[in-house]
Amino acid sequence: MDEGVEKVIKVEQLVKNFEVTEKKAGFLGSISAVFSPKKKIIRALRDISFDVNKGELIGFIGPNGAGKTTTLKILSGLLYPSGGFIQVLRFDPWQRSPNFLKQIGLVMGQKNQLWWDLPAIETLELNRAIYEIPKRDFEENLNELLELLEVKKLLNIQVRRLSLGQRMRLELVAALIHKPRVLFLDEPTIGLDVLGQQKIRDFIFDYNKKYAATIMLTSHNMDDLIDLAKRVIVIDKGQILFDGELKELVNEFAKEKIIRVYLSKESDFKKLDTIGTVLRFNYPQATISVPREVSAVAAAELLQNFSVADLTIEEEPIEEIIRRVFRGEMINKIQNLKNEKISASL
Amino acid sequence: MKKYLQVFKISFQQEFAYRVNFIMWRVRNVLQIFLIFFLWDTVFADPERIVFGYDRAKILTYVFGLIVMRSVVLSTRSIDMPGEIARGDITNLMLKPINYFKYWFTRDLSSKALNLAFAAVEGVFLYFILKPQIYFQNNIYYLSLFILSLAGAIILYFLLVFLFSTPPFWIPHFAWGFMFLLFVFTDLLGGGVFPLDIFPQSLQNLVYLTPFPYLLFIPVEIYLGKFGMTLSLKFLAVSFLWILVLAFINKKIWSLGFKAYRAEGR
Repeated sequence: MDEGVEKVIKVEQLVKNFEVTEKKAGFLGSISAVFSPKKKIIRALRDISFDVNKGELIGFIGPNGAGKTTTLKILSGLLYPSGGFIQVLRFDPWQRSPNFLKQIGLVMGQKNQLWWDLPAIETLELNRAIYEIPKRDFEENLNELLELLEVKKLLNIQVRRLSLGQRMRLELVAALIHKPRVLFLDEPTIGLDVLGQQKIRDFIFDYNKKYAATIMLTSHNMDDLIDLAKRVIVIDKGQILFDGELKELVNEFAKEKIIRVYLSKESDFKKLDTIGTVLRFNYPQATISVPREVSAVAAAELLQNFSVADLTIEEEPIEEIIRRVFRGEMINKIQNLKNEKISASL
Repeated sequence: MKKYLQVFKISFQQEFAYRVNFIMWRVRNVLQIFLIFFLWDTVFADPERIVFGYDRAKILTYVFGLIVMRSVVLSTRSIDMPGEIARGDITNLMLKPINYFKYWFTRDLSSKALNLAFAAVEGVFLYFILKPQIYFQNNIYYLSLFILSLAGAIILYFLLVFLFSTPPFWIPHFAWGFMFLLFVFTDLLGGGVFPLDIFPQSLQNLVYLTPFPYLLFIPVEIYLGKFGMTLSLKFLAVSFLWILVLAFINKKIWSLGFKAYRAEGR
């Protein structure tokens, strides 16, 4: 990697284990849990390593319970790592030194810091004092954030009276009022409507560009990742399966191409089956998925045997690929590929 | 320092957001005072009677002393802590450059200021309803010792609440159990229900080894001048020793607690 690039986050062989007590279902289960608790170790993160450069915006993908949030919590100093080396902005996050905390922000879609019974401005004033932001900077940042997120009018309304989308945007204001250089976003668009999601996405994009802020983002929302992240890290069962450009992930795993064909004459739907997997057929349009290698042949065949008005060959949509990653279908595939890579390098 | 001033302000506002809650808590306090007052009023129906070294005036002063002590020492906001830990809300504070102990101590002070203001009003009100004979201490030494013991009691109770807040780090579903235990100890061993010198001497000596009597009973007794100078000073020393011990234990346990913290919850 370039020597000139500043590494903002360094993670080497990070391990995190949780000890949980298992409880069997039902009343008797509760009693037996009191007298003979069964302890179980959950290995949330097993040997994770990656670096993040200044100004990068990284998407963190994986199914539920993969270890995404755990990683973000360790990076922001909330959880004590069981092993490995972590550095964020040259600090050990666990020390939670004030100078470290002043430069980072963590936003969790399901957690709120705004004081529920008071207007948001009160929490913001409190944060101004806590982060020791000079009055002028504070007003400047605040105005900018309020404008970008379009929440100026909501500042003096009791937080409990706001809608989820309004609250979430104000949460972002509160989390960013100290202009963190490193930002961890955990499901920032969860529960929002499409418009609300777009507003937050645009904002994250601008914030990253404007301040060269380093951002790590986890999301179940495909659009978040496609719109925002150039680099993605795929994680499952506490292990990194893929770390690279989103484009690369797509190229490597898009094994199918999509042929969209407009027929000029109604013909037998069954016959289309011989070309590839018919995803949708709604005369005159048909959508067929074919293996990448034979897409040209399939197209030729279509032109020859059907009366075709129009035909396009498209890449498999990114959402589809990522959705498969979420479902864990890709995981074996990626694992095999990784093994191949390892054996090739040996 | 400025950050804590802001914490004080927002905390004060928050108390007002829960007006009904706050008023009910004050009502409960007043009812408790009535209960204890009438109990002792009946016991001392004969003005000549002296029980356990208390005459009517002194026992009633004890009861009214409790009003003030309760609102100053026992009114806290930090009792929200176990819930915060169990729910994972403590995360918000851990992410910020603010000292956790000082944050909650400030919030406690703001709660105490509010409660003291109300207690003063209630005190005047109850005084005119019940018309008790009150013993006013005019010895400046006892008064200064009382102020010191009061400050000690505030810090001591804060440290106890802090300590009894830690179990949810390990057992999040058991957030409140230990806190109730603390309340029971405070009332029973702290003198919240009856003066402790009702106990036999040997039991009293044992109780004096725990931190609880230094919360309510001993400061009030110092005010009443029941201990004499030497004993008062000795008790003061013990309470400050407890503060040191508890501060040390808290530091250790909290650092272990943070390590075990799972930042769970939504």
